Amino acid sequence: MIVRTGLTGPFPRSEALVTATRDLDRGRTSAEAVEERFVTTEAEVVALEHRLGFDERTAGYLRWPDLFRPFAETWEGFTVGPLTRWLETNTFYRQPILLAPPGRTPGAIAARLPLPLQRSPADARVLLPGPYSFSVMLDNRSGETEPALIHRLGRLLGDEVKELRERGFATFLFSEPQLVVRPPEGPRAEAVVAGYRAVEAALGSGTSIVWTYGADARPAFPLLDRLPVSVVGVDLAETEVEHLPAGPSRTGLGLGVVDPRTTLEEDPAEVARVVRAAYARRRPSAVWLGPGAPLDLLPWEPATRKLHVLPAVRRALSEGSA
Amino acid sequence: MTRGLFPTQEIGSLAKPRWQILGQRSEPLDESAKEELRSWDARIGFAAEAPALRDALLGGRPKDASPDAVRDLGALFGLRFLETAGLDRVYDGEARRIEMYEFPIRQMRGFRFGGHVRSFDNKYYLKAAVTDEVRLDRPYHVDEFDFVKGHARAEPKLPVTGPYTLADWSYNEFYLARQPGWKGRAARRAAQQEFVVDLARRAVRPTLSALIDRGCRVIQIDEPAAGTHPDEAAIVVDGFNAATEGLDAEFTMHICYSNYADLLPTLLEAKRCRQWAWEFANRDAPGHDGYAVLKLLAEYGDRRDVGLGAVDVHRDAVEPPEVVAERIGRAAKYLGDPQRIWVNPDCGLRTRNLSVARAKLESVVKGAALARAEFENPRR
Repeated sequence: MIVRTGLTGPFPRSEALVTATRDLDRGRTSAEAVEERFVTTEAEVVALEHRLGFDERTAGYLRWPDLFRPFAETWEGFTVGPLTRWLETNTFYRQPILLAPPGRTPGAIAARLPLPLQRSPADARVLLPGPYSFSVMLDNRSGETEPALIHRLGRLLGDEVKELRERGFATFLFSEPQLVVRPPEGPRAEAVVAGYRAVEAALGSGTSIVWTYGADARPAFPLLDRLPVSVVGVDLAETEVEHLPAGPSRTGLGLGVVDPRTTLEEDPAEVARVVRAAYARRRPSAVWLGPGAPLDLLPWEPATRKLHVLPAVRRALSEGSA
Repeated sequence: MTRGLFPTQEIGSLAKPRWQILGQRSEPLDESAKEELRSWDARIGFAAEAPALRDALLGGRPKDASPDAVRDLGALFGLRFLETAGLDRVYDGEARRIEMYEFPIRQMRGFRFGGHVRSFDNKYYLKAAVTDEVRLDRPYHVDEFDFVKGHARAEPKLPVTGPYTLADWSYNEFYLARQPGWKGRAARRAAQQEFVVDLARRAVRPTLSALIDRGCRVIQIDEPAAGTHPDEAAIVVDGFNAATEGLDAEFTMHICYSNYADLLPTLLEAKRCRQWAWEFANRDAPGHDGYAVLKLLAEYGDRRDVGLGAVDVHRDAVEPPEVVAERIGRAAKYLGDPQRIWVNPDCGLRTRNLSVARAKLESVVKGAALARAEFENPRR
């Protein structure tokens, strides 16, 4: 069994970074001091990712206020809207308001990627919003129909991938909770497939990962199996292994095995058992293990502690698989 | 008590004034903190009720200003701040609390704090893990209520964080670990039910009971997390009912930043809730009617009062009274009964500076007066 590991969303800010950013808001420290702290903390996340043997680096996306803000602030057609709950969590995002058909601003997202990734793009994992979740979680006042918007966002994200590929990036993770929270049907589902075809066309030999979370993935499996991507990930805190479709998988199988909703540490033996069961059902080319949902639902310390299950499971799987 | 139409109320915490923060640390006030103390005293007159303490703070003698006395003055400030804004129901701005989660959790055993979680932007909250059975050290908020009761000129309404929110904002280790096998959704839900009801029975209810014994008549159960997992609405209700079982007071339930439609009609099973105090203004915008969800209450035949969030607490722009009045009128139309509306900010104003908070509260009061005049003497 080929096993790959890595983060699947933003990492929490360290306590030192929390203090620094709070102090900045309260006028107790300088922007330069906070920038220094960001740099230090990003380096700490990269070091952690190295230490745990992850296959790509993310540097934690610590500066991004939320998944959509870099796009809402730099792409054409958007403005930043009200605080809105992020799925079933106690965290919030500013809902992008789309006032006109969107257009991307070349270079804008690349400039907002974590600095360690910009310096070393080949082993970076780029985090992007999936076109479907983006379309569902924004406030669409553009007059464009939902299927048209999903497809257009897919094309724009494809253009983004193309630009980032030219800059040396190769691995892209699309955060797609809404594919399982509100599974699309009919023209919307077709628009999702078309959107990812646009990404596929731009990807070349790169890797695309669609990561779902936030609800049971079962109703979405027929669509997920059609997506022209390299890996499809499901959150095993929401989806039972025995509900995974039986039969060989065309893509790599992503399994969310670290649950950021609890500080309770996962038992490596139990996780390995569940991963083996999932592998037996799907027989994928590779298993991609990571947190089921973004780890920034946890504070820094427990998030760091819980991640140690991933190399332990990897070891257990390699020792147990002949 | 007989009230006119559209009485007004506070809904939660205020930002702590800088003089209070420095004073509680026994640090001398800097010039801006002194000016803040002087200017608010001139405006609302609170510090004149403790002249020796005021003189110690302004005179740079922190040793003569004990942290407890400064905290009392902070509570008095919050109380007068809300009263002189013209609100009918007030509290102390939660001047003694760290915030609405950490304070009650620190009065209990069975929890361990593990660091901060980002709520949004550069805003964070501390989140504890429950690692053992919940136990209450002693009922909380009792001393602060005694102080408010002894000083209030308007009717006090005490906010208490509800059991569902306390549980949802904690990591569930203890109860989840007791669930056998893989910790999937079903295991999480069962563990959450056990945790919420334990919190309600072992910590929140004994606290409410002690507060009622001290004369507290109006209690707002804060459940901002109620909308987080809509399929757990029944657990919210179980927690509310367990926390208030057998108690005699006027209970209200505050929920914010949630899709209320997802919680209905299950939420209506909260037996002793007399008022729904919800946020609306944040979602009210041209082309998007933030108050339309009130039609659902009418459709379900629910006749309870509504605490109407009429100003947004996450933006500095102050809504004019005319906007507040229009929102009240719209809500009255949807509910079909103006008598059931209380007017308040969406949520606590602690994220706004005190000047903005005050301006928003004054707008609430003036907007309610405008709406009252309109309903009592409708223009032809």
